[in-house]
Amino acid sequence: MNASPVLLDVRDLKVHLRVGPVLVKAIDGVDFQVRHGECVGIVGESGSGKSTMARAVTRLMPNVAIGELSGRLTFDGRDILGMPDAELRRLRRGRGFSMIFQDPLGYLNPTQRIGRQIGEALARDAGAGADQARIRTLLDEVGLPDPANIARRYPHELSGGQRQRVMIAIALASDPQLLFADEPTTALDATVQLQVLQTLYRLHRERNMAMAIITHDLGVVAELCDRVYVMRAGKVVESAETVTLFENPAHDYSRRLIELSTRRHTRGAGA
Amino acid sequence: MSETTLTAHAARLMRTRHGSIGAVILIAMALIAVFAGLLAPYAPLQQTAESLAEPSAAYLFGTDNIGRDIFSLVVHGARSSLLVGLGAALAALLVGGTVGIVAGYFQGPVEAVLMRIVELFQTLPVIILVLCAVALFGSSFWLLIAAVALAIWPMEARLVYGQYLKLRDRDFIAAARVADLSTAHIMFREILPNALQPVIVQVALDASIAILIEAGLGFLGLSDPDMVSWGRLLFVAQDYMDSAWWMSLFPGAAICLTVVGLNLFADGLNEVIDPRGSAGAGGLQ
Amino acid sequence: MLRFIGRRALYAIPLLLVIVVLMFSMLHLIPGDPVQALVGDYPVPPAYRQAIEEKYRLNDPFLVQVGNYLANVVQGDFGFSYQNQRTVLSLILERAPRTILLAAVSFGLAIPLGMLIGIACGTTRHPGVDKFWTTTALIAYAIPTFWLGQLFVMFFALKLGWFPTQGIGPMVSRTQGFAWVLERIRYLALPVMAFGIHEGMRIARIMRASVIDTLSQGYIVTARAKGLGRGQIIRSHVLRNSSLPLVTIAGYAFGHALGGAVLLETVFTWPGLGLLLVDAIRLRDNMTVVGVVIFSAIAVVVMNLVVDLLYAMLDPRIRTMR
Repeated sequence: MNASPVLLDVRDLKVHLRVGPVLVKAIDGVDFQVRHGECVGIVGESGSGKSTMARAVTRLMPNVAIGELSGRLTFDGRDILGMPDAELRRLRRGRGFSMIFQDPLGYLNPTQRIGRQIGEALARDAGAGADQARIRTLLDEVGLPDPANIARRYPHELSGGQRQRVMIAIALASDPQLLFADEPTTALDATVQLQVLQTLYRLHRERNMAMAIITHDLGVVAELCDRVYVMRAGKVVESAETVTLFENPAHDYSRRLIELSTRRHTRGAGA
Repeated sequence: MSETTLTAHAARLMRTRHGSIGAVILIAMALIAVFAGLLAPYAPLQQTAESLAEPSAAYLFGTDNIGRDIFSLVVHGARSSLLVGLGAALAALLVGGTVGIVAGYFQGPVEAVLMRIVELFQTLPVIILVLCAVALFGSSFWLLIAAVALAIWPMEARLVYGQYLKLRDRDFIAAARVADLSTAHIMFREILPNALQPVIVQVALDASIAILIEAGLGFLGLSDPDMVSWGRLLFVAQDYMDSAWWMSLFPGAAICLTVVGLNLFADGLNEVIDPRGSAGAGGLQ
Repeated sequence: MLRFIGRRALYAIPLLLVIVVLMFSMLHLIPGDPVQALVGDYPVPPAYRQAIEEKYRLNDPFLVQVGNYLANVVQGDFGFSYQNQRTVLSLILERAPRTILLAAVSFGLAIPLGMLIGIACGTTRHPGVDKFWTTTALIAYAIPTFWLGQLFVMFFALKLGWFPTQGIGPMVSRTQGFAWVLERIRYLALPVMAFGIHEGMRIARIMRASVIDTLSQGYIVTARAKGLGRGQIIRSHVLRNSSLPLVTIAGYAFGHALGGAVLLETVFTWPGLGLLLVDAIRLRDNMTVVGVVIFSAIAVVVMNLVVDLLYAMLDPRIRTMR
């Protein structure tokens, strides 16, 4: 059991979204914790509300869509929901939380060079020269060869795996205590998936950085995570240590997810 | 589209703010055009006692240089403006729609040639195309409609072509092909109805452009001299700007109102077709 | 990228050739005497008739005539305007700079203004701001520029006397230096206002739609996750990306404006290409009509090339295309 103090504490989170005239209860009373340096998995099928939760917790939801947003959300002891924008921006810029997304091509600006997009996320304290050095260090850290060259390139010139590594570099630029990864490998080829996951795991270890990985793939959870939350229809149906969940799932839904995933993986191995 | 869905669409259109205002303006304009003879106190070409009279109870919009009542002229002008607008837009739909569908259906060299022709027509500014046509062939009422249609059909062709490409690979088209239905049947019975809604929006916008072009030709003194038209009233007004502002103000306002009506109507239609697309800005947080 | 531009340029040449051939063919469609069709409504002396018949080989087969005309155009010979007693080329060269000046100043004001309004509408947190400008733009766009011009002349020139009613100013100006610039501005002000408002509002509409589209993109979420502020996001992520569609549309409109803002030039008696065209049509000076149309086609095609170049510079996805 991880005994380090709680970093992110979510209590009774409710997110109701306005979809045209109807109100959808995307998140309906969720409790959720991440401790310092811990890796937590959030699994569920698409539409279970796991991505919405990550967006709500990091306050990246578009305001227009929100019908109701309530609950108690604290990060490092500070209230996130009521936090003024300026303070929130400071938190995102340094020692706070970052996020990477499923589709790195869409989440990188197509008209800007990689270096600039990373530099933007750096805290504004060093000079331009120091910034260049830090950008190269970050690119190197996420496992991209020839960082000086990559920094000069545009997103469309890179491969899918390279782009996701760039996204990770951007997320790391603020030296976050917690990294949300929303389906980080879903859009990638199988071989590249594994490499990117290994990189994430290494960074998690080296930096002692907490991670929350959102995925529909229990295989990913089994590889990386200490604890797992299983979500379904906006609610957490089970939370357990990864080992416990796989050996002795308490909820029917968890059992079905595990069965599905094992079947998929054995079939994949047989092919 | 069956009758019930048509009324349902109309009802939804009237619930959008833009659509309802636009529809009211257009209906009012159409009524004015139809009942011009009843609404106008004078026959359009009849000369009253006073020339260049200011707007008053007797002459709502004043009179022009040869003593014609501007209000009666503006009311009668609605006829030619709306007829040219609607006529040219429908003619453009017929020509452009056929070209778009044929290009989409046959692909290959037919598509290449037709789309090059469309681009050729789009190279020249619309007003210059119309001026050339009018200069060469004259400007009787029907030629005017043809000239305006000539200038705006490429937009319609592009749109229908684009819609066609979007629909071409859908299942029901493939099914129709497998069922060995005739080419004409697939083109006009299967694809056309499905591309109809954006096309109707484009027709409304085309009509507004046609009305502006017609007004422009009238303003240059190149429209049919026997027709009362708003643009032609502005052509005459150009020489009396220093003495009779009303000769310019009212015909111009009539053009504006009609064009705004058509644009609002098109906006409303768009909103009905794609409620999310026109939901507007959420702003940046 | 060079190949991309080269391909576009190669594509433009046949387009221009077709337009020249079509215009010449249209002259032939005019019923009656071909010489009269070329010269227009003007009594033709026998000696001049013979000169024209020889120059345009009017007794040769049609294709030879077309080829001959094309060869002349390529050498810059658009024929002779009998009504003006000058070559068509010299007329065009005299008028074009004035039209370019009007279009350039109008767009120079309309583009930043329209972009500013579009960005404000797209990014504002107050729905009232967006509604106000959307409605204003809708109405402004429906106003015919020539009518707006008339209203401006009646109000600003005739009633208030702030600006001259028409023209581009005295041919020989007695003023110098700054006073000369002021005099130019006084003559430019009204046509530029009428033109600029129309184009500016159009640009605002396009920009607004484009900004709203950009704001829905993933990289805006990334930018927010980085902790960037509103202003910074707009400056470094919204502005450039939203301008891309604008480049095409505004460039296209500018090309068309170079072809002659016929109606606007008529309202203000601005002696540019548009007015030249209208006068030529009224006088049936067909050589000049054809010349101006061909020139405007060239202007449009060249502007389209400039647009392609600009687009490629702004969008690295095209720039880095091999």
